[in-house]
Amino acid sequence: MSKTLNLNELQGNILRGYRADLTHVRYLLLEVVDLSDARRFLAASIEGVTPGVPKLTTAAHWADKKPHMCFNIGVTYEGLKALGTPASSLATFPIEFVEGMTHRSLKLGDFGPSAANQWPAPFDRPDRLHLIATIYAVDRSHLDEVQDQVAQAFSVLGVRDARARTDANVLGPQYAGDGSPNNRVFFGYADSISQPKFNHLTDAQPAKTSDSSPLGTVLLGHPTRMEGVMFGVPSPKVLGLNGSFNAFRVLAQDAHGFEQYLDQAAEELERALGDRMDQLLPVDGELLIGFQKGQRREALREIVAAQMCGRWRNGTPVANSPSHPIFDIPNRDQAEAFNAFGYQAPSACPVGAHIRRTNPRDGAVVQRGSNLSRQMVRRGMPYGPDFDAAKPDNEERGLLGNFIGANLGAQFEAVMCDWLNLGLLHPDITGLNDPLIGANTPETSAFDLLLLDGTSYRLRGFPRFVQTRGGAYTFLPSLPAIEYLSKLKSR
Amino acid sequence: MAKGPGWFDRFVNDLPERRWFQFLSNIVVVPFWAAIDPRPKLPGGARPAVQPSESLQRMMNLIMPLKNKSPVGRAMAAMVISQNIDEIFTGLDNVGTIHFARFIIIDDKLCMLSVYDGDFSNYIRDFIVAIGNVFDGILSQVEDGDDVIPTRDNVEKFIDWVHDRDLFQLPDFATDIFALQDAAMNRPAGSPPHSLDELPRAMILQLKANPNFSLGGGYRGYAGFSVAQIRQKFGLGW
Repeated sequence: MSKTLNLNELQGNILRGYRADLTHVRYLLLEVVDLSDARRFLAASIEGVTPGVPKLTTAAHWADKKPHMCFNIGVTYEGLKALGTPASSLATFPIEFVEGMTHRSLKLGDFGPSAANQWPAPFDRPDRLHLIATIYAVDRSHLDEVQDQVAQAFSVLGVRDARARTDANVLGPQYAGDGSPNNRVFFGYADSISQPKFNHLTDAQPAKTSDSSPLGTVLLGHPTRMEGVMFGVPSPKVLGLNGSFNAFRVLAQDAHGFEQYLDQAAEELERALGDRMDQLLPVDGELLIGFQKGQRREALREIVAAQMCGRWRNGTPVANSPSHPIFDIPNRDQAEAFNAFGYQAPSACPVGAHIRRTNPRDGAVVQRGSNLSRQMVRRGMPYGPDFDAAKPDNEERGLLGNFIGANLGAQFEAVMCDWLNLGLLHPDITGLNDPLIGANTPETSAFDLLLLDGTSYRLRGFPRFVQTRGGAYTFLPSLPAIEYLSKLKSR
Repeated sequence: MAKGPGWFDRFVNDLPERRWFQFLSNIVVVPFWAAIDPRPKLPGGARPAVQPSESLQRMMNLIMPLKNKSPVGRAMAAMVISQNIDEIFTGLDNVGTIHFARFIIIDDKLCMLSVYDGDFSNYIRDFIVAIGNVFDGILSQVEDGDDVIPTRDNVEKFIDWVHDRDLFQLPDFATDIFALQDAAMNRPAGSPPHSLDELPRAMILQLKANPNFSLGGGYRGYAGFSVAQIRQKFGLGW
């Protein structure tokens, strides 16, 4: 397909994020109870001129008219059924979406306390969870206003709030991929630095940059990274074309447990490395990491955190700067250049690091040709109370994450199942889970820290730091598709 | 000294050995059970596992009835495979997660038996990306294969197609059949609780619903290692 995309027909949250401007987000978990109300609302949300109905945010450029609020919807398989989608059409949706996230739990590492049968309401009733509406706004009052409007047409089964945070951590000055102030998530990392880029809006038009992703990465009906293979577009075409899929996840992060483990690991390293310590923390290396002379345990904690993630907590890639974070990236261009790194051997970034597992870039992977084909868009925002390491508590906090792609099986599930929790992409880590978000148990967990001389030191015994507390697979329909759904006649 | 079973217990225990009862079971008892307490056909292939080692060296037993059930049809299927040997080797190499793959024909069914690492859907998808045209050739020889040709345009449909024809793998621990049946019937596991006495009936009814199946998920001589780990160890490149 080479027709230019009409940005007015795409939901806006697929190709771009909102949080740089709108720092509060609310997810409304909705059930269709009155079909005609639901259909009227969907129809009105397209034009956005009906009082009391928010307008769906499209991908159209904002120019200098930045909105105070953005509104988008995703529909579950049960939601498509509830809206009256014909069985012949439902049968054309991919199996993982049809089954839903709760039925894919083992593939996703959702077992034990993360198992779907442990999830709180409303995620315990996936049959009733029909739509997830997303509101981004400058403040809470806008969120409340839109929620009241949505509640006129749907039953609100649950609400999840999150907000962007820029709180600094021990690494002090910050930099982010776009040069703007960092967005921090729990565990103290700068987040959302690297995303697929979509800077060409027709498939035929050459990409502006070599790292540009084909539109089929996130939009159905367009070429993908897999040569000659397109993801199936659900029918009718008006429903499937330019749609996307989203894995919405409520991920509880054990911030206190993570910091405690860093203490434990630093203590172990001090004790165990002996003469090899220089290969992990050279003399006075703590100064470069941002600490005072002699604060070597604090520096070791940061090295462990950096290698487990693949980035120092301020965002500096370990592949580019193995010994210390960089604090003074002066502008956006340099930040982007600094992020255009690879993992060609020998890389300073451990193979098992979180960001290398989830996006191996140009590093060798077992499944040749899959380096970039599993990429997806990630949009996350932290939820729960702020965490103060000096006054730890047991409140639930974490990330409300959206993992967006044109095919849940080929992208989200492929990464979760094969790479994140099995380490199948590289023989050195096969059988080991991701150290940060993997389904670990202290009895079997292991992570190989990379020393400067190329040898490694194996850390063991860390627990699972992230538990799944809810989620759903949704379809993000185009605006013509939403119009189609609003005009369905039967149930 | 413990008292032995009474005459009625002995009579019941001996029933499976009696020819008249075997005959009666086949034509009356099993069909009757199946009618009043049916078990759904359980899905084929290796099941997702918690233990990483269980996600390595997984077995696929893909059974595809030939369209042409004659020596000519069998010869045509054999020819498709032999004409594509080079492509199959290339595919195995590029997919990177396949230990072994074999094609055999039994009773006019073309069977592809393979051992692979990781997630089933990715395994099939990667195979199509690598050598979709070879699969198209194979599919042209088997029943219902035309529905998913060309495979590159029908990847999701083809993955489901293969999954439907991949043999059900009987759990290694017989009692695990209860949990699989509960899941297939959308019931919470063990609710209502299962008695061990129900196991023979549960098993027989399941094997009525899945007449072809694999005994266990395969037994491994060097469990827990991926293709790439073995190739790396022997310096073969991965």
